[in-house]
Amino acid sequence: MRPDAPSRVELLQGTLDLLILRTLLAGPAHGHAIAKHIQRSSEDLLKVETGSLYPALHRLEAKGWIAPSWELSNKGKRARFYRLTRLGRRQLAAEQSKWEAFSRAMALILNPVDPEAQ
Amino acid sequence: MISFFRKLRWLMQRCDKEAELQEELQFHLQEEADQRQEEGLTEEEARWAAHRELGNVALVEEDTRATWGWTRLEQLARDAGHGLRLVRLNPVFSTIAILTLALGIGGITAMFSAVYAILIRPLPYTNADRLVMIWDELSGEGRSGHMPTPAEWLEWRRHNSVFTDIAATQPGDAILSGDSEPEEVPARKATGNFWSVLGVKPLIGRVFTEEEDVKGVRVIVISHGLWQRRYGGSSTVLGRKITVNDKPYEVIGVMPRQFYFMPARSIDIWMPASFPPWMRTNFTWHDAQVVARLKPGMTLERARESMAALSRQVTAKDFRGPHSVIVTPLREELTGKTQTALVVLLCASAALQLIACVNLANLLMSRGAVRAREVAVRAALGAGRGRLIAQFLTESLVLAGLGTVGGLALAVPAMRFLETLVPETMGAARLALDWRVLAFSAGVAIVVTLTFGLAPALRGSRIAPQDRLREGGRGSAGVRSYLFQHSLIVVETALAVVLLTTGGLLLQTFQHLRQIDLGIRSEKLLTLETPLFRYEDFDRRVAFVNAELEKIRAIPGVMNAGAISRIPLTVTDQATFYLLEGQSRDSVAEQVALTRVVSRDYFATVGARLREGRFFDIADRKSESPSAVVNESFANHNFPERSPLGARLKFGRLSEKGHWYTIVGVVKEIRDRGVVEELKPAVYRVLEQSDQTNDLPSGIVVRTAVEPASIIPAVRQAIWSVDRNQPVARIQTIEEIVDRQLSTSSQSTTLLSAFALLALLLASLGVYGVLSYAVTQRTNEIGVRMALGATSRDILLSFGRRGLALTLTGLGIGLVLGVMAARLMTALLYGFQPRYAMAAAAVSLVLLAVAALASFIPARRASRVDPLIALRNE
Repeated sequence: MRPDAPSRVELLQGTLDLLILRTLLAGPAHGHAIAKHIQRSSEDLLKVETGSLYPALHRLEAKGWIAPSWELSNKGKRARFYRLTRLGRRQLAAEQSKWEAFSRAMALILNPVDPEAQ
Repeated sequence: MISFFRKLRWLMQRCDKEAELQEELQFHLQEEADQRQEEGLTEEEARWAAHRELGNVALVEEDTRATWGWTRLEQLARDAGHGLRLVRLNPVFSTIAILTLALGIGGITAMFSAVYAILIRPLPYTNADRLVMIWDELSGEGRSGHMPTPAEWLEWRRHNSVFTDIAATQPGDAILSGDSEPEEVPARKATGNFWSVLGVKPLIGRVFTEEEDVKGVRVIVISHGLWQRRYGGSSTVLGRKITVNDKPYEVIGVMPRQFYFMPARSIDIWMPASFPPWMRTNFTWHDAQVVARLKPGMTLERARESMAALSRQVTAKDFRGPHSVIVTPLREELTGKTQTALVVLLCASAALQLIACVNLANLLMSRGAVRAREVAVRAALGAGRGRLIAQFLTESLVLAGLGTVGGLALAVPAMRFLETLVPETMGAARLALDWRVLAFSAGVAIVVTLTFGLAPALRGSRIAPQDRLREGGRGSAGVRSYLFQHSLIVVETALAVVLLTTGGLLLQTFQHLRQIDLGIRSEKLLTLETPLFRYEDFDRRVAFVNAELEKIRAIPGVMNAGAISRIPLTVTDQATFYLLEGQSRDSVAEQVALTRVVSRDYFATVGARLREGRFFDIADRKSESPSAVVNESFANHNFPERSPLGARLKFGRLSEKGHWYTIVGVVKEIRDRGVVEELKPAVYRVLEQSDQTNDLPSGIVVRTAVEPASIIPAVRQAIWSVDRNQPVARIQTIEEIVDRQLSTSSQSTTLLSAFALLALLLASLGVYGVLSYAVTQRTNEIGVRMALGATSRDILLSFGRRGLALTLTGLGIGLVLGVMAARLMTALLYGFQPRYAMAAAAVSLVLLAVAALASFIPARRASRVDPLIALRNE
């Protein structure tokens, strides 16, 4: 953790894959855009380290969940774009529902609902 | 499966992917920089910020590559390739490391294979560790023992309480004839219970029974070798009648290939002993070997006590007085002196292996220090710790692997050499490679290589690279590591000294054995045997022997030929009681002399030397008052300080009749019993006058002017021209006989000397290596010292002194250990007492000279350091 960004949240193990897949649901994107998107969407709470992003992208590619293609970026440069495959879509659905169940469970434990209050 | 094909496809697109990854990361950097620039940084600042953000590009690339799969395999291949390249790039280091390993591994593997075959492999008998041999203890001869008599065997068998059963064997050569060329084969007579005592079964057919033994039925059991060689391995041999010594015998069984028994593995025929009645009561007919099986739970000690008591009781009435017996485990009998030789050599090869490992450790540590900087640089450039370790691991394995292959390549020829160490009493002359030992010693080598090969990677990757780089080339080995390396040097020097001194002792002993006066001229002397069982009639026998000798002398290249009843150097026994004229009958008990029957030309042929009197000549014809030639031992024992010439003796304890033989000459000692055997009194009689003995002059000696081997066919033809059916056997030269008898000594000497020289070489390489390492490490310090006024002589001395101090410490320890090692191997010294001080002095000189050289070279390099350059090295 860098001392100058104390508010930043460290990515949970295994969640990067889910975030990448979710980001690509919106449409194909290159690595840099994916990282920025995650950072922006999380209101700068999450920062994706390049050191983990590219290995993750290539790992997902190896699993067949995302597929690369060389296209021109909006600035007209050649960039490696990734898009979600059918397999990746199915994986995203499964991961997402797993994550939602998990975060609901976490929320229930961390903020218990007082039965008397109901 | 799908993922496999995907990986395969990727593998083919490997180069594309590599380029793509770089382009992708480049794009990322560009994109990041652009963004920073938009945020207001200058172009330069933005680019650096982007780089900082991305971190170590090489590491990202490597981590990404790791997700492609196959990388592990690729890395392995790359590391192995890198390892091999390093081997090629540092030929001196690699050659030394691999050779060192190969010598250590090869030596110990070959030695252990021999030790296993001779000392450890189970003998081909049921529960062989329960089998013992029993020998008579006559005239305090101590351990060597004397052959028991069949009469004793009968008594022991009947009365003992410690053995389940006792069997006996007797010599009995056999001439096969009839079905093809007459052939003499080694044979042995055995009692009917021989097979059950050993617990062996025939391969096919059956063995003979006690009943057949007692009744004297003519049946034989043959060896696997004879069966294959003469009878083509056909089972129809069973029941066949074959002619043995001119009498028909029925073949009833064939023993398995691995079967053998004392006294030689070459025995081809086993026949019933069928002791004649007179032999069953004669307590002086010492020609049997007795093997017995201990009762379950019986200890060797108790058996020894019990048998000693029984033997005294059995021989109570012997006119020589009662005697005890010696009981020894069969394994000890079979291996004999070889056991000590093997143990000594195994220890030596283990020491060599140890030295090799120590040296290797030193080499690797020295190189590791040199590479510490490389490790630091690579760590700084982004190499992960695991990656570095994996690479050093593979490199070390390449070295260890090549060393193991080299060891295997050395072990195989070494084993062929060691095969000559297998005693003649044992089977399986062919040694098989012991894979477990190869695996073990290669394992040790690999562990050493890995331990010391990995050290730099571990150390290097633990220390933060910037520290290491800041440190420059000085390294951080420190005093502790020097101490470790120095102790390694002392250890290997000490071991080398032990090997060298013991090798020196063996060498002295061997030289002594080589210089033993055989009493005959051994060069160009051919010997052979012509069994004379077909010439039972005395006159016909004399005529035949003289005729064949005449024909042999006529062969071009033959200088002389003679006959003798036992080929010199080969037979330890064949002795008889004798009585000197004027002695009382009682003194016979103590008087035993070797007896030999010779032809007139025998002494001249072998080149014997006369002390006084004469050898036999034409005047010695068949007569009532025959002549005798005695040896010096006989003369000195019976006629101290005076001449035995003219004195008379007769043979046999009870023979009232018998000729009186007149001593006409004294011959200087001939080593009739063997090169290293003790000398005994001996009496020689001439063929024409030996009508009163059944000792037949079947041995022929031929003195040649040409290479003895070249006249062998002519000698055969000469004998066959006299008698077409005369078997001719055991053709060999005296030199071959001598070589064989000294083979254990010569081989252990050769091997130990070789081990010792290698050890010396390795130890000096060790000294050299450590000092060179120290010089490399301390170049900087040397520079400073010289800059502060030290002369190059000071530097030379300081390094040279260190090398010599290490050597001297090792030498001191080694010499002390050498004294202990020398005690271990007294059995190999044949009673000879080599001078330890001489060996120690020689070893010290050689070692100091070698060590001085090994220290001088690096020390001189240190003294030639140019302080300017050394300091600039920083």
